[in-house]
Amino acid sequence: MPWYLYLALKQLFPTGKRFPFFTAISMLGVALGVALLIISTSVMGGFGHEIRRMIVEVQGDVQVRANGLMQDPAGLQARILKVPGVIATTPFAEGVVMLQHQDKPAFPAIQGVDVNRVSRVVPLDYYVRIGSLNQLDDDSIILSAQLAYSLGARMGSTVEIYSPLLLEKLKNDEVMLPRSLTVAGIFEVGHQQLDSSTVIVTLRTMQDLYGLGRSVHGINVKIQNGLDADVAAARINAALPPDSGARARSWIEANEDFLFVLSLEKNMIFFLLTFIIVVAAFSVTSSLLISVVRKTREIGLLGALGGKPRHVAACFCFQGLFIGVAGTALGLVLGFSALWLRNDMVAFFTKLTGSQEVLARFYQFSRLPAYTATSDVVMIVVCSIVISTLAGLLPAWRAARLKPVEALRSE
Amino acid sequence: MSDAPNNVLSARALTKTFLSGDGRIEVLRGVDLDVVAGESVSVRGESGSGKSTLLNLLAGLDAPDSGTLEWEGSREITTERRATFLGIVFQSFYLIPEVDALQNVLMARRILGKVGKPERERARQLLDRVGLGARATHLPAQLSGGERQRVAVARALMNSPRLLLADEPTGNLDEHTGDSVIELLLNLCAETKTALVLVTHNAAHAKRTARQLFLHEGRFA
Repeated sequence: MPWYLYLALKQLFPTGKRFPFFTAISMLGVALGVALLIISTSVMGGFGHEIRRMIVEVQGDVQVRANGLMQDPAGLQARILKVPGVIATTPFAEGVVMLQHQDKPAFPAIQGVDVNRVSRVVPLDYYVRIGSLNQLDDDSIILSAQLAYSLGARMGSTVEIYSPLLLEKLKNDEVMLPRSLTVAGIFEVGHQQLDSSTVIVTLRTMQDLYGLGRSVHGINVKIQNGLDADVAAARINAALPPDSGARARSWIEANEDFLFVLSLEKNMIFFLLTFIIVVAAFSVTSSLLISVVRKTREIGLLGALGGKPRHVAACFCFQGLFIGVAGTALGLVLGFSALWLRNDMVAFFTKLTGSQEVLARFYQFSRLPAYTATSDVVMIVVCSIVISTLAGLLPAWRAARLKPVEALRSE
Repeated sequence: MSDAPNNVLSARALTKTFLSGDGRIEVLRGVDLDVVAGESVSVRGESGSGKSTLLNLLAGLDAPDSGTLEWEGSREITTERRATFLGIVFQSFYLIPEVDALQNVLMARRILGKVGKPERERARQLLDRVGLGARATHLPAQLSGGERQRVAVARALMNSPRLLLADEPTGNLDEHTGDSVIELLLNLCAETKTALVLVTHNAAHAKRTARQLFLHEGRFA
């Protein structure tokens, strides 16, 4: 082992000392920074992952929409199904209605789905917590959980639907009664907006309510696992007739702004928490600078014994590197341990503060999601080690500048 | 090249001046010195007479303002050559506190490259020779002043130097311990035919060397 590495290790772990205090404190600073970065990026990643999964499961991988109505959904679906990588399609119609139950009004978004096809594209069955998608027919409706709760509607309750078409007919002095539908199910996706103001009916019911005839608003497309959604969307666009006015967009493109905000939030948290490592690195620099001052005469001796300035510098630089590597490793252990115990910790704190319901109601989770991307871990490890090594540069430079004769003379 | 090929060290007309505030202090004003192989030379002088400055020049740690220095005929002394050609013993020992006595001795060799079994064996032998074989695993903090200086002597001899420079090696030791360290230094240098330049305040220690020099106002008197 080169003498400068040997001496660096001995200065970090002096012979005969079981607990090298300076090393432990310096490592702990870096470790805490790394642990916090791992925890925060993983939890942010968990939320992002859950939201992305939910978007795909609700919207499908690719959504085809026209400028207006799609007059021939069957023909378009037949074309789309021929595109390589496309597994299934399902048409939909959407809009807003007024819904009333026992004099309580609400204005939810309404989605008309093809009951026979929808499950091939989106796992709607999975989200229907009470009742079943199979029970949905032209005289029934599935309500989102929070909407049902706020209206006081239950399975078998009757709700009345007022569509914009009724208002149009009122203008022409025609009288139309609202559509009465029976609650056949209650779904919960885990997303505040969807769970508080969405209802699902059959495509035929939706077409009746909006007077669409056989037209639809769009087609959701399921693609093969592993196939890039943007690539699939491009292929579908190439297969669509130019005069159809329809255009396919991947879930990524359709939610570009939202995904950008998610990514920005995560990056900002990463950026801000990186400063914990920077602060820890300053502490490493400070400790090593003190060490250089304390060991001035020893540095002079090393020069007198034949040590080269660059090797003296390497000795201190290596100490920064070692603290960085060891602190990062410890931080990874701490971070992943905390992630492993995250739900127990959340349960403990929410129990302590009595906020279990608040957590579930406002953040749509009772268990903390976590998803650790390998790229995030690599980024954290590299940042931590580089910053810690840089922390050793200033002390190393000072040590290398010392002339042996002056260093030996110093008091 | 020097006229005397037997010289391990030749210094001619060495001068050294230091700036101090607005003034200049001429510490060395033309020092000539030849040391032949195996010879022991002592340099005495008052405090501030330039003894340590001279030793730093002889060690190649500092450069003279004028004059010439030759180490076995060569005017160049690289870092590597200094490590093998010269051994230095300082007044303040300068042991590395984090490693034990054996590793302190080995450090002189470690700086030059890999340390193997033969080097470890030599370091142990040197520690035995300075009477510290049983304390090889002791840290400097666990050794007395005299023992630390013995470790420093062993370290200075680790690379079998041709010339040993000792800068007041007994300055921090009591009289008895100082005597034993000087005895050890002289004996070891004689055994290994290593030339010795001993800077000291102590007239008795100086008298034990083959040649005594006195530095006065920057010149040998």
